Amino acid sequence: MADLMKKRDVPFPLYEVGLLAATDDELMQVSRDMSLSLSLDEMKVIRDYFKKEGRDPTDVELQSLGQAWSEHCCYKSSKPILKEFVFGIDRDDVLSRGDAGVMVFDDDYGYALRIESHNHPSAIEPYGGAATGIGGILRDVVCMGAQPIGLADPLCFGPIDRKGELPPGIKHPRYLVNGVVSGIRDYGNRVGIPTITGGFFFDEKYTGNCLVNVACLGIVKRKDLAKNYAGGPGEVMILIGGRTGRDGIHGVNFASADLTATSDEDSRGAVQLGDPITKEPVMHACFEVNEKHLITGMKDLGGGGLSCVIGEMALDAGCGADVDLEKVPLKEPGLAPWEIWVSESQERMMCTCKPENVDAVLEIFDMWDVLAVPVAKTTDLKRTRLFWDGEPIFDMDLEFLTGGPVYNRPYSMPIVSSKEREEFPELPSDREVILALLSDLNVASKEWAIRQYDHEVRASTAIHPMVGEMNETGPGDASVLIPVPGSVRGLAAAIGCNPWFTEADPYKGGMACIDETCRNLVAVGARPNAFTDCLNFGNPEKPERLGEFREAVRGLGEIARELDIPIPSGNVSLYNEAPGGHHILPTPMILGCGIIPDVRKAVTADFKKSGSCIFLIGRTRDEMGASLLFRKFGGKEGAVPAVDIPALKRITDELLSAMDEGIVLSCHDCSDGGIAVAVAEMCISGQVGAEIDMSGIDLPLQRALYSESCTRWIAEVDGKDVTRFTEIMGGDATLLGITKGAGLHIKDNGTRIPLEEMRAAWNDPIWNIMGGGKQ
Amino acid sequence: MKPQDAKVCVIRIEGTNCEDEMANAFSMLGAQAEKVHLKQLTGQAPAALRRSLEDYDILAFPGGFSAGDYVRAGAIFAARIRAAIGGDVKRFVESGKPVIGVCNGFQILVELGLLPAMEQTMTDAPTAALYNNDSGRFECRPTVLRNDNRGKCLFTSEIPSKALLSIPSAHAEGKLLSNDPDFVQKLEDNDQVVFRYVCPDGSDAVYPWNPNGSPSDIAGICNPAGNVLGMMPHPERVMTRFTHADWTRGYSSEIGDGRAIFESAMKYLEKL
Repeated sequence: MADLMKKRDVPFPLYEVGLLAATDDELMQVSRDMSLSLSLDEMKVIRDYFKKEGRDPTDVELQSLGQAWSEHCCYKSSKPILKEFVFGIDRDDVLSRGDAGVMVFDDDYGYALRIESHNHPSAIEPYGGAATGIGGILRDVVCMGAQPIGLADPLCFGPIDRKGELPPGIKHPRYLVNGVVSGIRDYGNRVGIPTITGGFFFDEKYTGNCLVNVACLGIVKRKDLAKNYAGGPGEVMILIGGRTGRDGIHGVNFASADLTATSDEDSRGAVQLGDPITKEPVMHACFEVNEKHLITGMKDLGGGGLSCVIGEMALDAGCGADVDLEKVPLKEPGLAPWEIWVSESQERMMCTCKPENVDAVLEIFDMWDVLAVPVAKTTDLKRTRLFWDGEPIFDMDLEFLTGGPVYNRPYSMPIVSSKEREEFPELPSDREVILALLSDLNVASKEWAIRQYDHEVRASTAIHPMVGEMNETGPGDASVLIPVPGSVRGLAAAIGCNPWFTEADPYKGGMACIDETCRNLVAVGARPNAFTDCLNFGNPEKPERLGEFREAVRGLGEIARELDIPIPSGNVSLYNEAPGGHHILPTPMILGCGIIPDVRKAVTADFKKSGSCIFLIGRTRDEMGASLLFRKFGGKEGAVPAVDIPALKRITDELLSAMDEGIVLSCHDCSDGGIAVAVAEMCISGQVGAEIDMSGIDLPLQRALYSESCTRWIAEVDGKDVTRFTEIMGGDATLLGITKGAGLHIKDNGTRIPLEEMRAAWNDPIWNIMGGGKQ
Repeated sequence: MKPQDAKVCVIRIEGTNCEDEMANAFSMLGAQAEKVHLKQLTGQAPAALRRSLEDYDILAFPGGFSAGDYVRAGAIFAARIRAAIGGDVKRFVESGKPVIGVCNGFQILVELGLLPAMEQTMTDAPTAALYNNDSGRFECRPTVLRNDNRGKCLFTSEIPSKALLSIPSAHAEGKLLSNDPDFVQKLEDNDQVVFRYVCPDGSDAVYPWNPNGSPSDIAGICNPAGNVLGMMPHPERVMTRFTHADWTRGYSSEIGDGRAIFESAMKYLEKL
């Protein structure tokens, strides 16, 4: 190796790497020693390229390729599958598919949405990993010119009450939860963007590789919608915000490989450091230069740092770029050019502007005390060229650099859970079952985390993440924002994901995730408008894992297309595997946005009063596969809930029209734990009991109570409105019972559970494990 | 002075993050609210952006985490103000113009010595502090406040005595403490207590209704002159009913509970 690396005679660290004469073994040695994570085939393609160039590459060039060709940056394993199933759902109201998707909100405004993962950094350093995840997703929205208005953080961990030995190098889930929640809290609260929704998913399969997905919504005047690329050649590229340091080197490569027992020591340097108080003025200043139309494009520095942002901003404008790398402001002296080029230090943005506007742009950043330095110029040559004090150190064709390989990797079709092989578990009394389901970590109150996040800053939160009597609240379905002050138009946001369904039947599971997202949005009175997805899966080089990915993507693509709801942004996170090849549950995390024309008509999940009629909306089928009941009590196999897409469309229209007429008092999505848990939750948040009779559902009682069939809601309707309600709902509403008393009463077998017992079962578990006061 | 003539200075530095809604709260009442960076008041901005504090009629300190609040909350912002425009701020207060600080803004007013300021307009050193919540956590939750002011505070002139207002809290450091053992009694004697946390039925607050453990459930205080108000809960977040936490459970008015505080200030200016 030493022989291959030849120091160039310049007064800074720069090496030429002898690829042209290298053997296959040596090529792989270069890839390993330089942490490029490139395969032999990829190294050979690179060698051939430099053969044509007639010279050996520099270390800067090779490192740049390692970034650009990583799974994280070029989606080399996932792109063909995404292309086949989810790309190209087009609608006129998609305004942009840039770093964040942007959809029409109203005549004057667009809203931005984007989700991404920060899984591996958070597994190593939960506080910093989560905080910088928030920082990154905010920048994705900011560089559309959009003011961030809400954050959403769905998280997956091993059980926080886990006992027993942990695999080597793995941190306890309770420690990770504490660190991640603190990181989100301290970054989100400081930067002043409300954390309005999210979710916790607990399963042993996340113990070795937790998932930290972060999403952000924004609002932008349509006339100020920013581009993420330059306006043409001859423009100046200005680097904004934080200084560049050695934090966050090789983050994308780290994200594109499985975690190992020694990731902790090996990769801590790949975790960046966040600084919300640099970010906050960066945002203000970026909006100002954008609103004054002083810039032509704006993009955040995320994975791959400068190496990715400069090439992409230039190439998307049909240009190249000449970079004076020594001009990049550093945290510490002595960084090698390649380190500067690939560092993922936080709080940095790049903007492009015409040369005559540079002074005006710099003045605004100076006003906000934000560092801003011109570092490059766009050229009419489709190449990126780097100079260090005039010395050329990098000169590559941009299409080759950013093209990257694409693989049609082999996959195997998953064997799905079936009704034929179903084993229904022995169950205790329904009282015990319901209390056990309510206290399952996946159902139990997440208030411990929710109240540490400021979910009201910006004063636009109309429907909060927890609903019901103040300080006696229960779970909500979707949060609703009023993004434009003075307007009543609302933007709803909800997470939908069922990784257990997706494991048992990836195709149906993918669909169910979208169905759940829609249910949550419709439950508050919002019409689903767009999705953004974060696809967290295992190692794509394993055919079983790629098969899961393919089937799940097929499912969610099919349903989104059928519903005609676009997915204008998204993210893929592969290689979510722990030491020993333990893979996560396949987790397609969906954030859905919906529009509610008048927030004053929004509906929440808490029962509003005694004496109302309770309806089940939608059809309950014998679909017990991967249900919470089966997971909790040892059931096996069973049919995974399927989605009847025409029914979803029809019922969405019906329910929204009933809500528009103001006759739905409360509405709750029916998901984990089925009808029993949904009704119990509505009792808890509403402080009123319910008397239900399941005989209208043509299934054995336990299946009727706990089946998790899709496309179902529970709704509360006043007696005087029942005729009108059933008229609107056609045959899709079944009367279940009435709100009454101080507990849940299942008339079919006389089960009675006092409200306070249900509240304690649901409220206490996470507080008890994480510590702290109760409601 | 008519509302549309009232100029409001919503002051900010890096990390101030509730300035949009603070400015909006005043704009909703017709005032001209301007978000002003401290640098604009200290001459460190380009000429066109320079501002003078005395040109404004109301000074508002919004919430947030000014300068990150990595030391005692509000301390850095207060130190910068004191060093650069401490005299201007003191004169502003002495002229009787309304000054409001919410959450981090309250913390800044205490750090600046503008509250409780029992002996003089602006004490050289803080005489109270907003300590960590008893729970040890950031608490974002609904709180109910009772107007306990007897008439001194200009920000409650439009609010009936003992009226209950639902105004949410979101902070990690909101427990008002002082070394003075008679602190609360003196505040009472001077009619400086403005808001107390109570339970929704008006009874004495217990956690979580008092979210931070503040002695005597104090949520907001004013200076002895009554023109400087500091409070931990956020009235600017509930200008309409539809950002309250529980409005879907029924309401009688579309007006939010926070609005009366801003209206009181505007009414005060109208009389000038």
